[in-house]
Amino acid sequence: MIGPQGNKKSLGGIIGYFDTPDELVTAMKDVRDARYERFDAFTPFPVHGLDAAQGLRRSPIPYITFIAGLTGGSLGFLLQYWTSAVDWPLIVAGKPFNSWPAFIPVTFELTILFAGLATAGAMLAFNGLPNHRRKAFDPGLTRDKFAIVIESPEVESKAPGRFKRFEESEVADFLRKLGAKDVAPVYHEAWF
Amino acid sequence: MANHDSHAEIKNPGSFDAPASIKGALVVMAVLGLAAFAGGLATDAKRAWASFLMNHFYFFSLALGGMFFAAIQWLTGAMWSAPLRRVSEAFTSYLPFVVVTFIVLCFGLKLMYIWTDPAVVASDAMIRLKSSYLNTGFFVVRNLVALALLIFFTWKMVGNSIAQDATKDVRFTLSNRRLAPAFIAFFALLYSMASVDQIMSLEPMWYSTMFGVYCFAGLFYQVLAATCLLTIYLHSTGKLKGLVNDNHLHDLGKFMLAFTVFYAYIGFSQFMLYWYANIPEETAYYMHRMTSGWMPVSIFLLAGKFGVPFFALLPRDAKRNVKTLTWVGIFMLIANWIDVMWMVQPSFFPDGPRFSWIELGTSVGFLGIFGLFVVRFLARHNVVAIGDPRLAESVLHHHQ
Repeated sequence: MIGPQGNKKSLGGIIGYFDTPDELVTAMKDVRDARYERFDAFTPFPVHGLDAAQGLRRSPIPYITFIAGLTGGSLGFLLQYWTSAVDWPLIVAGKPFNSWPAFIPVTFELTILFAGLATAGAMLAFNGLPNHRRKAFDPGLTRDKFAIVIESPEVESKAPGRFKRFEESEVADFLRKLGAKDVAPVYHEAWF
Repeated sequence: MANHDSHAEIKNPGSFDAPASIKGALVVMAVLGLAAFAGGLATDAKRAWASFLMNHFYFFSLALGGMFFAAIQWLTGAMWSAPLRRVSEAFTSYLPFVVVTFIVLCFGLKLMYIWTDPAVVASDAMIRLKSSYLNTGFFVVRNLVALALLIFFTWKMVGNSIAQDATKDVRFTLSNRRLAPAFIAFFALLYSMASVDQIMSLEPMWYSTMFGVYCFAGLFYQVLAATCLLTIYLHSTGKLKGLVNDNHLHDLGKFMLAFTVFYAYIGFSQFMLYWYANIPEETAYYMHRMTSGWMPVSIFLLAGKFGVPFFALLPRDAKRNVKTLTWVGIFMLIANWIDVMWMVQPSFFPDGPRFSWIELGTSVGFLGIFGLFVVRFLARHNVVAIGDPRLAESVLHHHQ
């Protein structure tokens, strides 16, 4: 994770700029295959095929949504069952205490509520949001620039054998070789 | 990913000539169906007419549903569905034949609808009050007029689509875009009317303002499944190679999942209000569906017709898996058939469902005739709307 580390101007990574999404996707495949530990892409809009080029796996969020939905539905039903048939049985409109059709709307709503909130929460958690540490950002990346950042590991790699070592000059040359129009170092305390 | 081939010419797959074995099987099915219906009339006319009515309505819905699916693609200017639209258009080829099945149906009105009986009308004040609408003459005329209107739109719009194959003229798409909203307005009105007339009036004392929507939910449910199955079949023969990919199936799968939920929502909304208010004239319809041999069928509609496709289609991989989609699609077609049976049969047999050679034979016969129309359509026209301006973009359909 890139973040301020005192006043020391430490290297966060190397950024390479590309002009078109096609160039970015092509370069990204090589970056992926180079096996750096941390790298990311920045684009002004969603680019089709980038996830695959980056080697990203499917998000686990759908499973969280599903489990939260089941939980919400079950809790919603049980709450109504317990209150109207167990804890305080009341005869309403001459219907049985456990009148399940009457419980369905609330069960449905709680399924949606739990699933929706859990999805939003999981999305924030997996993205590491809200994030107040990354402040500055190159405005070009919200307009017409596409970039790959290869990050330098903040701490010693947990599995040094599995990843390629980050060497500043080597990474810069690598990005240039992949066709980056502009290559620059990125520092922690003031991004870009 | 922007693809540089997007302007390349797409190879026309041409028409699809079904193998002789399939054509033969369909002819045999149609003949068996006629024999079963005739045999049924001779042995148990009530059952024969009940199964004729439900299959008439089921395949009418399937043919009209094909038109509805195509119409919403034109209305919304959809890109993703361009290679699938012709498949749903193929179902509409059966629609003119519905006129025939409806005319046959008219010969059985007396055995099916109690409001056709003058003695019942004379003795029952409620039915007498409804008799200005529920009388044989008006029933036949308005349903035939409705069919004529729906067939007219189908003839115009599918005709435009086929004519576009030759010229690739964008004006056909624009013309269909103008016709689509008018068709959908007529469709909503006339299909509701047909379902109220042909199904709901079997029990003329009972009424539901949601009945048309309930039937529509079933219509879209079955037509999505049928479109998915025929697409998968044509793809397996190699006809749609390079035109339809996993992403198209994924979108169809999402549609199937969504309208499974829609069906449950509509079905439960109709049920719950009657159950909650508990007024005798309103609960009659559900009473004999919940207290007799019909209860297992009612439970199947909740747990099977809703539950099975819902959980089966939830995972992303299921919607991209041809095998899963095939099984779920077949299940959905059968489930909706059971639903139509559940709407029709209880007014004839309140104690429980009837299913043997009469029902099976008549259904097989309808399926055979429907299949022959679709096979004939596919043999005469390209299996894909090759002139559609959105096709080039759609064959590269990609999403994450």
